[in-house]
Amino acid sequence: MSGKITVLLLDDEAIVGRRLKPALEKIGCTVEVFEDPRRALARLAEQTFHIVVTDIRMDDIDGLQVLEQVKKTSPATRVIMITGYAMMALAREAMELGAFDFIAKPFTPDDLRAVVARAAESLGLAVTSSTSE
Amino acid sequence: MQATASAPPESAQPPRSATGRYQSIETVELAQKALSSRKPFTLRLQFLIGCLIVLLFGTGVTIMLIMTTSEVGQKVHLLEIVNDYLLEIQQARRFEKNYFLYGTNLPNALENVLRAHSVLEREAESLRQTLGAAAYERVLPDINRYEDLLQRLIALKSQNLNDAQTIAEKKQIEQDLRTHGQHMLTFAETLMVKERSLLNAAIARSRGLHISGLMGLLLIIMVNSYVLGHRILGSIHRFETYAARIASGDYTPVMPARRHRDEFTNLAMAINKMLLQLESREAVLMQSHKMRAVGTLTAGVAHELNNPLNNISLTAHMMLEDYVGMDDVERRQMIEDIINETKRSKNIISNLLDFARESSAQLEPLDLAALLQDTIKLASNQVKLSKIKLEFQAAGNLPRIHADSQQLRQVFLNLILNAIDASPKGSRIQVMILPADEPNYVAVKVIDFGSGVPAHILASIFDPFFTTKGKGKGTGLGLSVSQGIVAKHGGQIRVASEEGKGSTFTVTLPITTIPAAITQQPRLQLDTRPAHD
Repeated sequence: MSGKITVLLLDDEAIVGRRLKPALEKIGCTVEVFEDPRRALARLAEQTFHIVVTDIRMDDIDGLQVLEQVKKTSPATRVIMITGYAMMALAREAMELGAFDFIAKPFTPDDLRAVVARAAESLGLAVTSSTSE
Repeated sequence: MQATASAPPESAQPPRSATGRYQSIETVELAQKALSSRKPFTLRLQFLIGCLIVLLFGTGVTIMLIMTTSEVGQKVHLLEIVNDYLLEIQQARRFEKNYFLYGTNLPNALENVLRAHSVLEREAESLRQTLGAAAYERVLPDINRYEDLLQRLIALKSQNLNDAQTIAEKKQIEQDLRTHGQHMLTFAETLMVKERSLLNAAIARSRGLHISGLMGLLLIIMVNSYVLGHRILGSIHRFETYAARIASGDYTPVMPARRHRDEFTNLAMAINKMLLQLESREAVLMQSHKMRAVGTLTAGVAHELNNPLNNISLTAHMMLEDYVGMDDVERRQMIEDIINETKRSKNIISNLLDFARESSAQLEPLDLAALLQDTIKLASNQVKLSKIKLEFQAAGNLPRIHADSQQLRQVFLNLILNAIDASPKGSRIQVMILPADEPNYVAVKVIDFGSGVPAHILASIFDPFFTTKGKGKGTGLGLSVSQGIVAKHGGQIRVASEEGKGSTFTVTLPITTIPAAITQQPRLQLDTRPAHD
């Protein structure tokens, strides 16, 4: 264990945060969930997270703006994009802007845990096995 | 034959309400019946009648010309006879004069008189006819008497008697001879003058007949050509206006405009049949265009559908994962989430499925605001994807309209999707319903602040197959189909646009002013517009 991995999860769908918070906590992450991108950005300004998981398509501010903001303030933070459906153009744009990876809806909790694990690894952190509990 | 002279007032209007022209098959049948039930008076018949009149008149004139010509011939012949007669008489009298002067030539005079007499007898028939029997009978005694006198004189002379009685008798004969000779001459001269004037009159009559016959013939041909031409040109002109009307999307069948049925009626009936075909083809076009819109919407729907699907997937997976450790409240919560998200999925697609469903045209009273809200909902995923703000405003208390909801939704959806295409990210689109400038109409405006339409192509944007979108993106049928639909509803689509500033599309639709049940009936007295406008 090399300390808790901090994750900020941003999706305007409430259920996404409700289900993924426990799912990620199981692998040793500390998860903060946001539905409103403005409040998420405010929180990101206060604190640096290891990993940010954000939906690309939201009403006011989209995931790409969040990505840019995060990359500006803490370049080390790994940003994982959730895309509505395979919008390759947007995904490619996100990768060019420095996203760590993207994951397309619908996905399973394990899909996301795998990407998060790889992101943690790239930071020199390790996740705990979800089945260890 | 004055079929074109006065068109009767429109007796049968096609059943057409201000809001719909959908009873096509019935209206076309009605129109066909009205067209074919008139009495036939074909162009061919008029042409034949014209020819017949020309022929009859020509024949009449010819017969009269032949008659006058032969009359002139007769008169000339008679004049010749009279002339012969006059010459003989004149000659006889000359010899008579010689006799009185020199006592000679009596037999010559007799010879001439006999010749004159034989002329009279030879031509008795024609003289009797032209002079009249009475006049003819009057001349005979004179000439007989003159002959008689001459013969008696010759006899007396040959006796060579010089007694007083003979001299006295001779004197008496000579006096009578002069008198009767004078009578004969006067008669012949009068006859000559009379015959000459008769001949002149006959020639003048013949000339007059020639001229008037020819003029009459010309006049008849001219009148017939004018009437026939007027009829044909008038009809051609009418069909020109029909073609323009049909091209503008108004498929109201052609109704009778005249009293009679003719070749143009066949054309009108063929056009009405064509209208049915056009109508059904347009329906296919409308449906295929609708499916294209559905295709566009499907992208948005697929995207939107991923959200509830993802929620269901995540919830189900987590429930499976943590099933054992969960309490009932948590489980119930998760199952409710799944149920709600399923409902949400259903709502996302049902709207689209409802729109995509093929349906026959159906007119019903509609709340335009509700219809527009439905349409906006249908396009909402597209709007969200394009990051555009769509503002909807409806003026209060707007009356209902009578329309086909599916078709109108297609029109408004098309306008909204076009507006989305034209708008840059983050801009807005305004949709509003308000009373139109003209009374009894409502207007729906779709306003975007996008690229606008360049002035030089503004006139062609409603043309079929005209598109400014890239290859494979637009069919160029959207606005054309929309215009067809709106025209069928008795409305109009107008556009105002400024390049770089945006466009405003305005759809005006007539308001229903009478209950729906009545609008289904033909509204003969309410519709004052003629069918062949």
